[in-house]
Amino acid sequence: MAKWGMVIDLGKCTGCQSCSFACKAENDVPHGSPEEQQQRRAPFWHKVFAVSQGEYPTQRINLIPMPCMHCEDAPCVVVCPAKATYHREDGIVIQNFRRCIGCRYCIVACPYGVRNFNFKDQAVEPYHRPDLPPERTDKGIWPYPERVRGVVEKCTFCFHRIDQAIRDGKKVGTDVVPACAEACPAHAISFGDLEDPASEVSQLLASRGSFRLREELNTEPRVYYLD
Amino acid sequence: MEINTDNKAKSQPGRSGISRRTFIKLSGLAGAAVATTYAFRKRIFAAPAYPKEPANPEPPKAEGVITEKFVPTSCLNCGTRCATVVRIANGRAVKITGNPLSQVAEGENCARAHVGLQVLYDPGRLTTPLKRTNPAKGRGVDPGWTPISWEQALGEVSDRLKSLRSSGQPHQLAVFQGLNVVSDEDLIHRFTSAYGTPNVISEAGFDNEADKSGEWLADGHYTQSAYDLPRTNYILAFGASILESYKPLARSLRMWGKIRRERPNRAKVVVIDPRYSVTALRSDKWVPINPGTEGALAMSIAGVIISENLYDASFVENWTEGFAEYKTLALSAEYSPEAAAAVTGISADTIRQLAREFAQTKPAIAWRGRGATSWPNGSYTSYAIFCLNALVGSIDVPGGVIYQEEPGYQPMPIVVEDDAARSGKAKPVLDLRQTEQFPAAEVVSNQAADSILENKPYQVEMAVGFNSNFNMSAPGAGRWDQALAKVPYYVHVAPFPSEMAQFANVILPAATFMEEWGYDHSPPGSGFAEVRIKQPTVEPLSGTRSVADIVFELAKRQEGTLAQSFAGIGNDAKGFVKYRTGNLAPWEEFQVQGVWVGPAYKYYKYERIFQTPSKKFEFRSGNLEALFAKAGKSTSGTVILPHYEAASFLGDADTYPLTLLPYQPLPQVENSSQNYPWAQEMFLVMHGQGWNNYAEMNRHTARELGISDGDEVWVESPFNKIKAKARVFEGLHPGVVAIATGQGHYAYGEWQTGIGVNPNEIIGVDYDRLSGQAACFNTRVKVYRA
Repeated sequence: MAKWGMVIDLGKCTGCQSCSFACKAENDVPHGSPEEQQQRRAPFWHKVFAVSQGEYPTQRINLIPMPCMHCEDAPCVVVCPAKATYHREDGIVIQNFRRCIGCRYCIVACPYGVRNFNFKDQAVEPYHRPDLPPERTDKGIWPYPERVRGVVEKCTFCFHRIDQAIRDGKKVGTDVVPACAEACPAHAISFGDLEDPASEVSQLLASRGSFRLREELNTEPRVYYLD
Repeated sequence: MEINTDNKAKSQPGRSGISRRTFIKLSGLAGAAVATTYAFRKRIFAAPAYPKEPANPEPPKAEGVITEKFVPTSCLNCGTRCATVVRIANGRAVKITGNPLSQVAEGENCARAHVGLQVLYDPGRLTTPLKRTNPAKGRGVDPGWTPISWEQALGEVSDRLKSLRSSGQPHQLAVFQGLNVVSDEDLIHRFTSAYGTPNVISEAGFDNEADKSGEWLADGHYTQSAYDLPRTNYILAFGASILESYKPLARSLRMWGKIRRERPNRAKVVVIDPRYSVTALRSDKWVPINPGTEGALAMSIAGVIISENLYDASFVENWTEGFAEYKTLALSAEYSPEAAAAVTGISADTIRQLAREFAQTKPAIAWRGRGATSWPNGSYTSYAIFCLNALVGSIDVPGGVIYQEEPGYQPMPIVVEDDAARSGKAKPVLDLRQTEQFPAAEVVSNQAADSILENKPYQVEMAVGFNSNFNMSAPGAGRWDQALAKVPYYVHVAPFPSEMAQFANVILPAATFMEEWGYDHSPPGSGFAEVRIKQPTVEPLSGTRSVADIVFELAKRQEGTLAQSFAGIGNDAKGFVKYRTGNLAPWEEFQVQGVWVGPAYKYYKYERIFQTPSKKFEFRSGNLEALFAKAGKSTSGTVILPHYEAASFLGDADTYPLTLLPYQPLPQVENSSQNYPWAQEMFLVMHGQGWNNYAEMNRHTARELGISDGDEVWVESPFNKIKAKARVFEGLHPGVVAIATGQGHYAYGEWQTGIGVNPNEIIGVDYDRLSGQAACFNTRVKVYRA
């Protein structure tokens, strides 16, 4: 079984945020508002964070695109009392909206802050997506054509794309990648099977030093960064 | 309690024979009291425990995709005009991706492309022509819009146009152009040409006209330079934000990945800018410079390269003119690294190091952007920076400056002109281009406002604006309010009622670029030519018409020579695109593929690329010499050489100690609206903030002024003041205050009204005196707590 992972090359990233825009469009993630931003409630499944160090004129700011890390040892999975968040066999950490009871333990537990609580009313028009393709709804839990308020949601590594690609016999990582990787104009985001030494992600990781965020927590994220 | 009772929901039985929604409905009704109490999580609370849930629910058929198609078209959220493919599901545009057949950016788009969906489905869009009922015009004055039919609107506009022309004064029509599709620009120019007005005022004069004139001074091409990015090894960027705003942006983003990590030899990038831009952040070295002194740095670098004999002697000898004078000037004491260090604030050692690296890492590019050139001395700065490329032989070589090839569209028949048209076009232009004031200018956008206010050289009776929004985008924005209020009859053509539309007598609701026919190409960058189609991805919003169709209709209604000029070129928007691209690609194929790519670029065309008197690259500008000679001006001294002049600032340094630096963040959409939630919430990536812009300043500056992060502050110039939120930011020269553009809208839109400030409100009016480029960076301000 493949273990899906992502490699983000910060040496190529241009900070353009195409990844975040594409994610919003692909997954119909609701947009926020000035108020939601102030309350830190604006939902993002993928966001580019700015990390600043040092002082003028030698300051160093880094821009880090952050999807869900899909940790091998995911704290969110451990704490979920409803088993609403769990690992798929291919390593993707999934959120089942139907089981989620909205307790938000996972949001507290996640060291990366990539989980979102849906505060909004599900009747809000923009959430209704009658256009979502049948392959997304016929097998598995994602996504509701209507959104569900009061549950936690997060990046899925665009598993609907992966599953469809496997059904169609396409190669994940080359033919089909998550929306953020597809949209990256600098080709900074690579996706593929971490256990396949021939995959692009494995090759990239073998070629240079890499790091993962908050490695000291031993969460074993499946998102790697190259400097 | 809200229950979904629509038929779609009912028609999806689960395995148990009872659908989830029906179950919720039943349990919801039974426990209405509970549901009210817990309305916040009503559905969840009422849901059955999950073992009862069918593991794999049947597809809700009514909610799946019934129809799906992919339409190749192109973007217009900035001037790059990338080729895109739009996915249409059930008649609704749901996703935009790059067109892999496009070669300019190798099939990639920037983040702005995705916003096309929100441009298309902007709830603030106009759906019917509007007529003004309140004769008073001004900011904040309610125009008293009343909806009218297209027939009435076009009739009124057409009658006005007719009567102005029949009175023999067609030149009193002014046409303002914002960001338009290339095909629409072609039609608008054809219309004004046949009508007889020279007054087509584009917004280019706010952007990078001084970049263009700098190249013209050296090699005769009045154009933005194209750089062979994928093959370069060294980039010295002067005030060019390659990764944020410089176009073609998507190409820069794609090639950035390529030159930084996809080749064995990684290109080095050094960014010279008072602001730590995203480009600076991603570069190898950021060199903060005193604002407006890039020309001195460029000349000093040239001096070091010449004195250390690092220049490309063979290119200089064979293909350049005026090197001796340039050399003498560059080696003069004024441009010694020590002297330049005092001017620029960059140490002499750094200047020497940059010069050596630049000359010895081949091929290298000296890349100028509007941060360096939108100054009163901009053309000369632009010229000085551009000359560095010639000095190291980076002209028309792989990895150097290249010469953009234009797509050869099917030529149109000559415009049919009558005497009225000829005499109208012979009149001087409203913006004083190519007069003594702006000798080399092609357009002086900002001057038009003053000309209108002063009736100089004549009065403007009528104006038509196509997607323009000058009273947001022009420095000294408030003047445009007055100018537009003075125009007796103004017609605004755009998809939404922008700030400029508030001054219209009639608004014609245009279709967006997602709904119209057109052809488009990028600004210089790729070298080879490429054309993209624009075709309707969805049915145009009811009540709107494309710009092309509006222009065709107006021309037909003018009859006579105008109607004749528009005959035989396709008759409508779609026909026009088919006509103009017919010689490039078969029509069916072009619609399916969406792009036409020209032949591969050929380098080393020295025999024919230099459009100068000497037919060589000129360090001593023969073009400018001829221009000055014609005007009877002296050409002695340095006036026809690249050189540095200390910039004049607006506002005295004692009262206004800081320099205002407006900049364009990537999510600023260039169609003059910002009513797009995605672009808003990811507006300032460097600050991790959206829905606002800030008065950004260095920590030292803030401390001196007693300002802390988040304070409300006034930013005051000699002309106006705005109230903004302060942001303390390490990445700024201590002498500047940076404010992002794109915010401060007030005319329409839930997602933009009242958000942030518009720095153009406080910027003074000044120009580069050769190209007429608006000087955007020489306004001094003071900042104090509100």
